[in-house]
Amino acid sequence: MTPIEQIIFLLKAVPVTLAISLLSFLFGLGLGILLAFMRIFESAPLRYLSDSYEKFFRSVPVLAVMLLLYFGVGPFIPIFKDPFFTSVFSLGIVSGANQSQIFRSAIGSVGRTQMLAAISIGLTRFKALRYVILPQALFLAVPGLGSEIALLIKDSAYSFIIGVIELMKHTDILRASQRSLILPYVSSAIIYVVMTFPVATFLDKWGSRKKKELGL
Amino acid sequence: MLFLLDFSTFLISGFLITVEVTLLGVGIGLILGILAALGDIYGGRIIRTIVNLYVEFFRGSPLIVQLFLFYFTIPMLTGLSMDVMMTAILTLSLNSGAYQKGYLKGAMEAVFKDQLMAAISLGLPMWKIFLYVVVPQALRIVIPAWSNELASMGKSTTALIVIGVREFLNTGISITSQTFRPLETFAFITIIYFIWIYSMLKALDMLYDKIKIPGLEPVI
Repeated sequence: MTPIEQIIFLLKAVPVTLAISLLSFLFGLGLGILLAFMRIFESAPLRYLSDSYEKFFRSVPVLAVMLLLYFGVGPFIPIFKDPFFTSVFSLGIVSGANQSQIFRSAIGSVGRTQMLAAISIGLTRFKALRYVILPQALFLAVPGLGSEIALLIKDSAYSFIIGVIELMKHTDILRASQRSLILPYVSSAIIYVVMTFPVATFLDKWGSRKKKELGL
Repeated sequence: MLFLLDFSTFLISGFLITVEVTLLGVGIGLILGILAALGDIYGGRIIRTIVNLYVEFFRGSPLIVQLFLFYFTIPMLTGLSMDVMMTAILTLSLNSGAYQKGYLKGAMEAVFKDQLMAAISLGLPMWKIFLYVVVPQALRIVIPAWSNELASMGKSTTALIVIGVREFLNTGISITSQTFRPLETFAFITIIYFIWIYSMLKALDMLYDKIKIPGLEPVI
């Protein structure tokens, strides 16, 4: 293969990498919002559950979770025999813990005073969250979510180890078949940078602009 | 899970390698991060461009790609034969340095503004200002962000299995291939990872509470 063909071969795997990252991001987003809500409402068991979940999955390597699910749980629950599903699932449950923290700190920086003000004018706690706190908090969470997407794009490379055919796997195939070492790795590193950099910087800039507009 | 006792020395040696590469990676990365942050803040345009390229490359691409890249290309380009541990520590430090540069730069800028003026007006030369005014305070401010970096480095070391380092997760894979009991083995490994990373985070939290500078809490 010529260098151009090799790069095209790498690019063919990009949709899979993006699919893993986006699906796990969405899964983590749902989980993260749910966990963050469990922390806000005043119910001790829910708060405790959410807190332990967050602590556990923020301190555990994604790859260990992936191997545990794929090799350990796979034989008992057939759906985990599918490497694509397993990698999305593991990245998602770990990302959920990260995203929960992002939402919590966003909600926290909107400020307790606004919550008190909203309650004092007669809104219920839920309505205050829904109409006052969350619309602002979502904007504040955007930069954090941007770097979380970037992190997931990079971490999706782990799924090559359990056999998903994505960008890292294609790089490895090139290394094995073409006997050229530098080109596949340098170009796939550049492809990853091109995917992560715009997301993170764009969302970061957009987030800080919104923050200024909201006067927070 | 009792069968794991048969592999206890094996598991312990794997765990020690994980601890070793984590601490060395973060330690050397700290030095690189300080240099890169100083270069970015005080350097000219060329140094700044180099620092930013370095940071974007290492922060933007997965650790696995970097490991493979160094593992295969360094021997080819330089003719040096590197063993896997050297490659691992080199890659982890460069990777960690790129992340720490961002945290340290933020912390240094937090110290920087008014204290720099004060230090200059006292007649301190530039290098003394860095060494005695900026860096010591920046290191104290940066601890919360830095403990995240330590935790993420502790988790990232699992990527080393791709170049064949015998670290903790890799011992788990070997044990699985001998015993065919992946569920218990990987569950055990995951729990040990949790205990080690969580206790590191807690220890740094306590350290931070001891030595934080009142009024200079981090922005990160």
